[in-house]
Amino acid sequence: MDLSTTNEKILQLAEKGGATQAEAFAILVKTSSVYIDDDIAKLGTAQTELGFGLKFIIDKKIGYTSSTLTFESIDDFVSRAASMARVSDPNPKFGSLPSPKKVSGNPERFYDKTTAQIDSEYLTEKAMLVVYNASADNVSVPNGTLRASSVDFNVMNTLGVDAGSKSTMVYGYFTAKSEASGSVGEGVQRCWSRNIADIEFDRIGEKLKEQALNVLQAKAFTEKWENIVAVVAPSEGAQLLDALIGSAASGEHVNRKSSPWTDKVGDVVAYEGLTVFDNGLSEEGLLSALVDDEGAPMQKTPLIEKGVLRSYINDSYNATQLDLESTSNGMRRGARELHGSFVSPVSCRTTTLEFSSSSKSVDEIISEIDKGVFVEHFAWPQVEPTTGSFSNEIRNAQLIENGELAGQIKHALLIGNLYESLKGDLRIASNLELQGISDVGNNGSSIIPTIAFPGTELVGQ
Amino acid sequence: MLDNMKKALDSFSNKDVSFADIRLEDRSGTFFLVTNGALRTFNRSSTAGSVARALVGECWGTASSSMPLKGKGYLELLEKAAKRAKACSKYSRREIDLSGTEGIEKTIWQKVKEDPSNVSAEEKIELVMALDKAQKIDEKIVSSNSVYQDSRRIYRLVNTVGAKLEWDESRVRVMTQAVAREGGNLQIDYDIEDGTAGYELARNVNPEELGSEAAKGAIELLSAEKPPSGKLTTVIDGNIAGLIAHEVCGHASEADEVVKGRSFLTGLVGKEIGTELVSMVDDGTLKGPMGSLPFDSEGTPSSRNPIIENGVFKGYLHTLETAVLMGVQPTGNGRAQDYNRRISARMTNTFFDKGDWKDEEIIADTKDGLYIIKGTSGMEDVVGGGVQATALKGYIIKNGEKTQLVRRLSIAGNVLELLKTVDAVGNTLVFNGGNCGKGEEDFIPVSSGGPHMRVELTVGGG
Repeated sequence: MDLSTTNEKILQLAEKGGATQAEAFAILVKTSSVYIDDDIAKLGTAQTELGFGLKFIIDKKIGYTSSTLTFESIDDFVSRAASMARVSDPNPKFGSLPSPKKVSGNPERFYDKTTAQIDSEYLTEKAMLVVYNASADNVSVPNGTLRASSVDFNVMNTLGVDAGSKSTMVYGYFTAKSEASGSVGEGVQRCWSRNIADIEFDRIGEKLKEQALNVLQAKAFTEKWENIVAVVAPSEGAQLLDALIGSAASGEHVNRKSSPWTDKVGDVVAYEGLTVFDNGLSEEGLLSALVDDEGAPMQKTPLIEKGVLRSYINDSYNATQLDLESTSNGMRRGARELHGSFVSPVSCRTTTLEFSSSSKSVDEIISEIDKGVFVEHFAWPQVEPTTGSFSNEIRNAQLIENGELAGQIKHALLIGNLYESLKGDLRIASNLELQGISDVGNNGSSIIPTIAFPGTELVGQ
Repeated sequence: MLDNMKKALDSFSNKDVSFADIRLEDRSGTFFLVTNGALRTFNRSSTAGSVARALVGECWGTASSSMPLKGKGYLELLEKAAKRAKACSKYSRREIDLSGTEGIEKTIWQKVKEDPSNVSAEEKIELVMALDKAQKIDEKIVSSNSVYQDSRRIYRLVNTVGAKLEWDESRVRVMTQAVAREGGNLQIDYDIEDGTAGYELARNVNPEELGSEAAKGAIELLSAEKPPSGKLTTVIDGNIAGLIAHEVCGHASEADEVVKGRSFLTGLVGKEIGTELVSMVDDGTLKGPMGSLPFDSEGTPSSRNPIIENGVFKGYLHTLETAVLMGVQPTGNGRAQDYNRRISARMTNTFFDKGDWKDEEIIADTKDGLYIIKGTSGMEDVVGGGVQATALKGYIIKNGEKTQLVRRLSIAGNVLELLKTVDAVGNTLVFNGGNCGKGEEDFIPVSSGGPHMRVELTVGGG
């Protein structure tokens, strides 16, 4: 089933059925995965999913429906959307679907043929490479996932938008367990890329082993350290900052008045050394495409420049309310979960956040800190984006005293307010890394270095 | 459809494959979101897909597709799954023999009082609008959000040991979330009613009450203080007790984490891990909570499984494979997010069982401590047995009375230590629904629950 031909048919039926405007979205996702279990490749999978979404609009009454068209015809699908719009409540805030804009570039710019056509044996070998390099007498790899996906989507609306893009994505997640003298430790490594050839699987295995063994040395932290600096690794900082900035800079939350950055464009919201862009055309970005999921040409939007809030991110719905143009942040696709992305209409979300870096290494940053903690892994890095408060249990961290690492710790909570820390004297390292985001509501990617956050508290258990 | 699937399975022949199954899922749902008085989303979905599994040695292969399939299509799916299993099987170290699995033939359609699909969209919109309106109790409420959601999942399953099953699961959820603002201070609160049920669940919701309670809570949090931090005597409500049950004891009881020795609960059957007041259960047969289901994704009937009884650890939650490996019966805990995701050992409705204390008696009996209520999230630590959970709010307890309100806090501790500090358990059990992930993905509907409990925990936040 050709995506654009099917979308065209859907829109024709929608107009015939009384839609004043309509938007059709079609997406084909193919994924190949291997799961590691107890040091072996335990499960190999292949998934194919074709899905459609239709926004049916009668004046300001909107219905959105989605289908895999497995058990229903296109006519039934469109009829359902029409019946929904007819009984829907008008949304006075709705203006219009986006008008077409010139889209330039090769739709396969973000597509890697090798990744898309990967076979199960190749994928299995790569995953096992991590296992071999992580394994030791007292280190095993109980869990792992490696998957490669290709995605092809088309979005079309009755105002003339007709655009799409193809891309690829690789995601890996591995844990290692270490044991010695009755103690256990765990290492966790993730990898993300658009091209499988870019991932150094042997290095991931080595790092996994090192982490798991380091955690074995951890001693229970029983003190309370106030007003310290937390040096946070890219994997953890990406989750925290994407959740915070992605929410606070979202036009949706600004319009709902639930963002603390409402009416703050032009104000200082962060340390002067911090600059953050949302870049839907990022060469490395996992959701990079020629257009967003409502067909607006992707762009690079400055969110924070030298600490000053410059812009919000917007899809067409929220941009209209703010009397602005869409920043091409109408998203359905997610870096963690591509399958099922047709089920919901677009929401206003980040694509790839690109953070500024410095020339300083992580070691240099640590050497400048009198008292702090270097966190490589939280149980789950979370921040409450409305208030900025966070309190996360550390799983892999080292104390910092007088500019030096002073021992691995366990059983401690790192507490603080991320909005406050952002405005403090941040220290930003040079080690930019691509990280996928998998928080609820934030599902893009970040290119982010290690960042040191002031004003935090470390509480022992 | 079942016959087509069965025929394909019967005609499938591969000497390396010792077990295979095909599962067909047909999912539909409705979702309404009203924000600040406007209908922001009206969404109906209809998705379906088939997934075939094949077992070679101890390695599995799966292949799934959303395309409409008939006999030949199912056969191709099985062959693809076998090929994937074969690719992994060069690492296989043993055979998994599932031939002793009972092949059940049964159809179970969930009985609901009122099928949500027979209730008009207009009526559902009216409910969500009423929920939203009820939140506007004060100018400090700057954002109101209200959701109604229903879903029905129909499953069909056949396997090589003779299973031929059809069943469905219907769930309904109603939610409010209010945001209050005073100057630069923003606070949120929420309320949720959910369960495996029909529209009768929504009819029993009082929209004025559900909406206004969330709004009052958000406004109250504007004057909340930062919580104390450190190791404290806490009284946790059933919501927080459920989070601890689920995240720590529940995930670590999933037998796929045990057969490979990753879980800290490995080898603890029969050992005392808590005070005699502590009992914990996973029960997929309960009527009402979100995690209830007639069969798991492998076609095993759900069941009630004691995990801890009077402080003694009793057993694990099994898939077909882990049950064979550990020489026990499968428990109906082999669950998958959907046809695109793997099956693994998962929870259903997981809860600490109730005790004898009245809730207010536990607080009155606590001289100094912290009363922690309303969980917001949690994360498992299967290896170390650590707790990380966050709560929306709490109250300082002084001389047996609730005093100052405190805002958003995290709780932490080691479960094998904290369960030995439980010295009071309430007599009222509550359940809260949610979507549970394993590691960082594979989300399935579950509930967690418990009574009020008094326990030593590390707390921090604000």
